[in-house]
Amino acid sequence: MFGLLDMLNPLRSDLADEPLPTSHRERVARLSLLALGLAFVPYFALVALDPPTAPLPDLGSLLRFAIAAGVQVLILAIGHARLRLRQPEEARAAADERDRAIAYRSLQLAYYVLLVGLILVGVVMPFEDSGWKLVNTALFALVGAEVVHQAAKVWGYRKGWHD
Amino acid sequence: MTDGRLTNQIRTLRFLHGEMTQTDLGERIGVTRQTIAAIESGRYSPSLEAAFRIADVFGKRLEEVFTWERPAARSRRAKSGG
Repeated sequence: MFGLLDMLNPLRSDLADEPLPTSHRERVARLSLLALGLAFVPYFALVALDPPTAPLPDLGSLLRFAIAAGVQVLILAIGHARLRLRQPEEARAAADERDRAIAYRSLQLAYYVLLVGLILVGVVMPFEDSGWKLVNTALFALVGAEVVHQAAKVWGYRKGWHD
Repeated sequence: MTDGRLTNQIRTLRFLHGEMTQTDLGERIGVTRQTIAAIESGRYSPSLEAAFRIADVFGKRLEEVFTWERPAARSRRAKSGG
């Protein structure tokens, strides 16, 4: 049997170079990255260029954040709806062992980003900073952790964890 | 992580079993077709249970489907163009 299998080896010789089919969960991870980018890159750019100085609660700054969050929710809602319409069966399928392994590894990575952010916001910064600077740093840590989470998922689906 | 790599004969075995599709195989062992593609290309190492299930679908022993290749064996195969 091994002889026959070896004769047929050309069937699998270049498999490692073939692009993998994209799963529903990978598409969702890409969508989440897109939504985070479109919603929060402009938000943090605005915050960096024009930092809020008014004391909490500053309605203008709150409105900025509400718009960013709204844009994210809108993109996610439209994107999820499109994905479900285009591939309803894949969208309904339960996560398999590879999905769970990738989710676990990507959450692990994101946890460290969140931990660093939490230490910065909750332990280091309160000695010198307050108000919106703390709030926005906390938001930055949350968004950063989520970006790492989703990017690691995409990496896991594309490249695997065994390279 | 130790050197070496898990290789497999899944694509060949699918071909020999009436060109079974990745979707068919995935359904029979409870994973998606994308996971079968990832296993075939060596980008995902299945759990021991999934590996046994795959071997069972083809009526093979585990070691007939999956092989652990040491780096030396891989470089020998690359030199011989296999």
